[in-house]
Amino acid sequence: MAIDAIPPLIAAQMNYLVTHTPFSVKVENMCTGGKNTGLLDRFSLVIPFCLDYIKWDVIYNAVYPLAAPDIIFGPEDENFRPYHALRDASDSKSLKNPLTEWNSRDPTRLFSLVLQLRESYKAYQKKRVEEVDDDRLKFEISTMLSREGIEMSLSSNIDKPEEVKFAVPLLDLDLNKMVAGSTWRHHQKIYLQVIYPVGRKYSSAPSAPRLKLVSSPELKAVFSIDDFRLPAWLDGMCMAEYLPTLEEMLESQIKDAVSFIESRRKLIMALAPLFGRPVEADPVFCRKATFLSSSGVFTFLVHVAIPLQFPKQQPSLMLQSSQHFNSQGLPIKSPVTAEYPWSPRWETSDMADRIFDFIVEECLNFKKYCNESMLQNR
Amino acid sequence: MDDLPIHNIQISGTTLASLLHRFFSSSGDIHGLLFGHVSFSTTTSLSDDLTASSSSAASDGPTLTATITDFLSIPSHFPLPLHHPHNNPSSVLLGWFSGRRKTPLRPSLKDSTNTISLISSTSHSFTPQNSPYPLSLPPSVFLLLTTPFQEQLIHTHEYKAFQYRVSSYSFDPKSLAIINIGPSFRSHYGSFSPISPFPSMSCDLRGLNAMVEDDVEKVESLMGIKRGLKDQKELDLCAEGFEIGRLGKLMGSDASNYTGELEHLYDKMLVKLDSLARLVENSSAKVLEQENHNMKLRYKVAGLE
Repeated sequence: MAIDAIPPLIAAQMNYLVTHTPFSVKVENMCTGGKNTGLLDRFSLVIPFCLDYIKWDVIYNAVYPLAAPDIIFGPEDENFRPYHALRDASDSKSLKNPLTEWNSRDPTRLFSLVLQLRESYKAYQKKRVEEVDDDRLKFEISTMLSREGIEMSLSSNIDKPEEVKFAVPLLDLDLNKMVAGSTWRHHQKIYLQVIYPVGRKYSSAPSAPRLKLVSSPELKAVFSIDDFRLPAWLDGMCMAEYLPTLEEMLESQIKDAVSFIESRRKLIMALAPLFGRPVEADPVFCRKATFLSSSGVFTFLVHVAIPLQFPKQQPSLMLQSSQHFNSQGLPIKSPVTAEYPWSPRWETSDMADRIFDFIVEECLNFKKYCNESMLQNR
Repeated sequence: MDDLPIHNIQISGTTLASLLHRFFSSSGDIHGLLFGHVSFSTTTSLSDDLTASSSSAASDGPTLTATITDFLSIPSHFPLPLHHPHNNPSSVLLGWFSGRRKTPLRPSLKDSTNTISLISSTSHSFTPQNSPYPLSLPPSVFLLLTTPFQEQLIHTHEYKAFQYRVSSYSFDPKSLAIINIGPSFRSHYGSFSPISPFPSMSCDLRGLNAMVEDDVEKVESLMGIKRGLKDQKELDLCAEGFEIGRLGKLMGSDASNYTGELEHLYDKMLVKLDSLARLVENSSAKVLEQENHNMKLRYKVAGLE
């Protein structure tokens, strides 16, 4: 018997889950529940929820892999009982427990189970937040409800004061479609995280909530939320007033960011007649391109990294020799530099010319640098 | 059905040890039923601190104590044997347990659905001993056993006892008191009844006058006699070697002279015990062989070779 193997039926369901969920799920702590077998049959799932993570333990039985798995929810969610509503006839949305009719041969089963459980977890947290006795929160919830896809949760840590967290999806734009040719697997989205401290007493001037912009990580290739400054929260404001301004600002900046892709593409295209066709280039976001160049017999690569703020910020350049290697056998590279003549107001072809002129000069220095370091290694 | 809080859950050291052993030696996860009794006890706190004892007695009144004496375990991919006949009149179904390796010590989704279905079937509710008023309790005890994630830890097992409360739909953690034999635990045995049920074997030999009853009953009674004879044969097999006549010699005034007889009796018993042990050994080996075979078949089904 193979050691540390995942039984195929379990592996099929796990892999289907990881590759098909609309959010990114991570599998951790795979271990075995058998006495003598090394068969891995239990693991933790790290599932994104409300801009945070929830960790659920999935327990299969390697001795009997045909059986339905069992799930243990997080330590703070002891009161989350998803299939409890089955008993309450009043609940029209009562769920059917898929564990009772399990088909281990169907690889989609775990996937749909996790999806269904996450939905009911969302509803469970929403119910908890709605039960919080805080007038301001009740007002905010009632005015925000028209927005779709809001996730919320109530943190109930003993050592921290109670807080309510909202994850508000912003902009009704399909970012995946805005960027032509993007290969993003997950739906790109920007969220506003809003954290309200729970104050049970009435206060005339409630403090501002803690606000933070969060984006899906892959979006960084086009638009960095770190460069975005949140509009100020005025006293006595509510979310319904705040969100439209924020969205307006965000939308115009994202549109700019998308249009910058085109200007980056133009730069790469302008560099091509001077350096030759790029060896490698990022065709979607046009953030980097690599050209093969030579000066006499000295052949080298030029790596061009184009920042998001191009053309305000100039591209940074790095040279890599094709002929010189260091003691570890790795090609010798120059330090990254962005110190060469630049003006954002130049035409793109001027920019390309200036870069080319700089490289013509710089490659001689780099050749000297390469020869010196080769000599040192000898 | 009443939903009263159980104040204490007790388990004898040997029962817990045997449960842990069963869990440790099983090839996979196990679960099963817990039997025992629930009794009312008026708080008899022997503390010197009068204020503390009087206040707790005033607020609590009589308390419920569940004592686990017995369990039945099966691999957890089989459903709980709820219709298993349990003949012992002094113990009732208290609840169930689940043992799963390397998992967090928290009730799972299946644990709660299993508990709810166990509680909601009224056929398992029971009345506690010396109950002052009519009361019907559901089997609400749940015992969870796990092993730690890291293998290098000093302890090899973790366990936690819960009572499922219908009123709050939640598992209430309860402390599990281990009762051992010894002077300091004497008070715990106050309600202990050393009754072992005799196997229910009907060996009622009907008198000869049964023969003269009418024809319809004749066949029936003949069958009865046949069964009776068979039972008698089995009993004789058990008593082989020491007939009633010989047993009679052990009683009366001159019993002291028959030490030889007594020793012979014990010898015979030892021989029987020995052969019984061998029988058990052989059958265990067969069971193990069958289990290994089943395991291979299961792996085949699961696509592993």
